[in-house]
Amino acid sequence: MTQVLLIFWIISAACIIFCRKVYRVIIYFGVFSLITSVIYLSLGAPDVAMSEAGISAFATIFFIVCVEKYYSRGRGLRREQAQEKQHKKLIFTKFVPPLLFTLALFGLFIYFVPTGYAITELRDQYLQMFMIDVGGTNAVTAIYLGYRVYDTLFEALLLVVAVVAVTHVSWLGLDQIPDGRHSEIENSAMAKFTMRIICPIILLFGAYLIMNGHISAGGGFLGGLTLATFFICRYLVLDIYDLPIKKVMKMEELVFINIAILPILAIFTGLVYVVADVAPFFQNIYLIAMSFLIGMKVACGFFILFYRYIAIERL
Amino acid sequence: MDIHIFDFFPILLFFISFYGLITTSNIIKCIVFIMLMQTSVIMFWLGVGARFGITPPIIGDVAYLEYADMIADPLPQALMLTAIIIGIAVTAINVTMLNALFKKYKTVNWAAMRDLVNKDENTLED
Repeated sequence: MTQVLLIFWIISAACIIFCRKVYRVIIYFGVFSLITSVIYLSLGAPDVAMSEAGISAFATIFFIVCVEKYYSRGRGLRREQAQEKQHKKLIFTKFVPPLLFTLALFGLFIYFVPTGYAITELRDQYLQMFMIDVGGTNAVTAIYLGYRVYDTLFEALLLVVAVVAVTHVSWLGLDQIPDGRHSEIENSAMAKFTMRIICPIILLFGAYLIMNGHISAGGGFLGGLTLATFFICRYLVLDIYDLPIKKVMKMEELVFINIAILPILAIFTGLVYVVADVAPFFQNIYLIAMSFLIGMKVACGFFILFYRYIAIERL
Repeated sequence: MDIHIFDFFPILLFFISFYGLITTSNIIKCIVFIMLMQTSVIMFWLGVGARFGITPPIIGDVAYLEYADMIADPLPQALMLTAIIIGIAVTAINVTMLNALFKKYKTVNWAAMRDLVNKDENTLED
């Protein structure tokens, strides 16, 4: 089964690479991400699979907004085709040397890559000790909130840096931040009715993922993505647009400071393990609090990115 | 030379997208191909030690540890979970820089943009 999925995976990737029109590239990218997340699930990684599925929806929105702007009414496509006709004579020298170069690199990699073995000592150590050391029943959450919490800190820092860079470049030269453009699908009564039912369920699902991140698949990243999806649905269909963006940015920075402080207090100083009898209780509190903070962080970050792409770049 | 199937296909995808990256002239496609390369790296790491019938590393009871051989490795999963979020942040920055370039030069083609940039530099020198 997994071999068949991998072959479909490569075929959809080849569709992306050798397709000429940009709209089709984006649609094929959605198909590719779907197959990717199914393969992740069959490899025993439900957290990563759900993250990939959520991320692909965001990436598709980004690229569709881009292409809608660059290729409005097919002008850009015609220009692109004209440029390709100009360079038609050079087609041999353009495609064959890169192909040979890539094949040579591929052969080298295949020959030298270490394959067929896996170190299992560290895995066994983690699997046997994580319930005592960190708590919870999900080993992935235990690793990224307990053993390797530095990774999570710097990942959150990188998301803050990305949001700052995006907002800085986006609002460069704008004296006032505009209110943004209204979505144009508000007249559809069917979509409105469906979203009115689905929106609370999405919010509930996000809260469930955050609160249950340490005992089942899910966690802060996924919960944050789901919460951001709630705001996107709200904007796209119901056309509600009342969140002050500067306050959201301020809140993101405050949440990041809390993400930095909480592991220092709980894990590095060892306050969780002071009383051994009630250690699991405090461990669970720590895990839920960190999941909640990371969820808020990711939700704020993705909401700001979404605001920038949908509301400002579409102007 | 026997290579594992979960090692072969991600490397193949990495080099297919590498080929696309050095032959295309469209910047949006370049950003999509960078995402493909990132996906191949994630798949390579998740495939370390992967077999059929492998189960997620969610253990409700200590008794399950008897079957520890069939539980997936949790360490690459935790690392790749953060790598995915970083990847979308990198993509957002890429698209933002593309928007800033598009505002100035009104094109998404590498060759046309290079010509325009050269023209700008020549006028500055004059």
